[in-house]
Amino acid sequence: MSHLLKLLTGPEDIGRSRWFWAAFVAVCVFLFVYPFWLSEFEATNNAYYLLNVPIALGLALLWGYCGILSFGQVAYFGVAGYVYGIVSGNMIGNAAGPIVGSLCGLAVCALTAAIFGYFVFYGRVQNWIVPILTLVLTLLLETFLGQTAGYQWRVGTVQLGGYNGMTGIPAFQVGQLVVTGYSFYYYVLIIVVVGYLSLRVLVNSQYGKVMLAIREDPIRTELLGYDIRARQLVVFVIAAVFAGISGLLYVQWGNYITPSQVGLLQASLPVIWVAVGGRESLLAVLLSTCALNWLNYTLSSEGYQYALIIIGVLLVTVMLFFPDGIIVTLARELPKRGWRALVGLHKGKAG
Amino acid sequence: MTDPILRTVGLTKNFDGVVATNDVSISVPGGELRCIIGPNGAGKSTLFSLLCGIHRADAGRVLLKGEDVTRLLAFQRVRRGIGLTFQTNRAFHRLSVRQNLDAVLQIMRADRPADADQRYRFALDRFGLDPDSEMLAKELPHHRLQWLEMAMVLAAGPDIILLDEPTAGMSTEETLQTGAVLKHLNSSGLTIVVVEHDVAFVRDVAQRITVMHQGRIFAEGTVKEITEHADVRRIYLGQA
Repeated sequence: MSHLLKLLTGPEDIGRSRWFWAAFVAVCVFLFVYPFWLSEFEATNNAYYLLNVPIALGLALLWGYCGILSFGQVAYFGVAGYVYGIVSGNMIGNAAGPIVGSLCGLAVCALTAAIFGYFVFYGRVQNWIVPILTLVLTLLLETFLGQTAGYQWRVGTVQLGGYNGMTGIPAFQVGQLVVTGYSFYYYVLIIVVVGYLSLRVLVNSQYGKVMLAIREDPIRTELLGYDIRARQLVVFVIAAVFAGISGLLYVQWGNYITPSQVGLLQASLPVIWVAVGGRESLLAVLLSTCALNWLNYTLSSEGYQYALIIIGVLLVTVMLFFPDGIIVTLARELPKRGWRALVGLHKGKAG
Repeated sequence: MTDPILRTVGLTKNFDGVVATNDVSISVPGGELRCIIGPNGAGKSTLFSLLCGIHRADAGRVLLKGEDVTRLLAFQRVRRGIGLTFQTNRAFHRLSVRQNLDAVLQIMRADRPADADQRYRFALDRFGLDPDSEMLAKELPHHRLQWLEMAMVLAAGPDIILLDEPTAGMSTEETLQTGAVLKHLNSSGLTIVVVEHDVAFVRDVAQRITVMHQGRIFAEGTVKEITEHADVRRIYLGQA
């Protein structure tokens, strides 16, 4: 137990002081009680801001900690969502359906990532090609799913539905409890908190330390005796499963999924959430993902295009002035320089 | 006679038609401190990359402790007891000293030599490296960065280490200190092969010297034999 605690509070993420953990617990408690002041509708909206956190955390692990940029994490998001829809949709009436569907969704995710990752990492594909390959995979998936309109494209009783997507996907269910509204909010919240803490343990473990070494210099790391291919593959699969968790939560939240969820636009969003917060910190990514999803959702009521332009401008600004991410840069520089140095933060910071 | 710890047979490597190493056969007995010298482009670094599996040889074989490792990948060779530092320093510059050393400490070698930990701690001590230091590696002065990479390689518990120009860019004092540490490590039974240009350093540490020239083994012998070798002097003065 004390070992686990040590891993949790280890040095590989920002936020290590007592104050941080006190605040962390306080925020968790607040998040657990504050739905009492909210309508069920608002609680469900809040769950939506949170449900993208796992895919972003997975990408932070893969990109920020292991140095592999995947531009196609939404492929796994989509695979999990569709598989869940197919399995649970065929088991309607059976209370175990959603649980079986979730497990199947994640299993297919892991398997897809393992096969794809095997060819990428054991084939020693150069690092800069990986984003392109992953993007191609997700675009292929989108194209495939897009042409599944028509009655012949069905699995059991569930229709894939082409560009209109799959509808009527069952909500998550445990026994007789159908997880919607308030309970859905808590369900997502627990997954996000547990997901964050477990990844934090992972990055502080011995495995995590080698991950950082691979990010910095794969050849040097291999020449210390590590099979980097196997390690990259494992991290790739973990990241895919986290993307799959978000996919599950998404279809359980909205009860539908369309091929555009694995399209180019959606594929770029996790990269933006991760880059804006700071890819080398799980905490930063957690915060930036919630904030940007909230921003996007709120702006969307003003018109979707407008929201995307703002997100895009934000990305460009961050890349120019805070290449390591806003939150990571603040966390690193503020204790050193104090608030007054905020202006001109990017100056004097070597890459 | 016991098997040499490291042996190559006819090792040949071409890069786009340019022969980098040509039919190189060397043999390093366990416990030796060997220096490999030769002009730029003689194939010294290529030889190292073939020995530890960064590149695959076009022809020839590499034997480590009698076992043919020619077809093994780099990490498999490392687990069998070889270690390497690169010509350009490749410690993890953006990570702290602690992170650099931590990254090595999970090595799964079952048969690491009994005094591997002792050697590692000795090196840390003599090189003045604090394994808990949160200082970023890139903030270290050059010579300490070189020492850090050596310490990382030692942390893995090798039987033989290959050092590619370890003292390049070091002051005379730092070079002397490096030599002293290497000699001590060698006296504890560690086999060391060093590629080096610094003649004073080579004279100081080498037990035997191999001279490479244009991808081939040109000469081999004791320090005395090599320094008195007329042809070696000639190629080193660039009159070949």
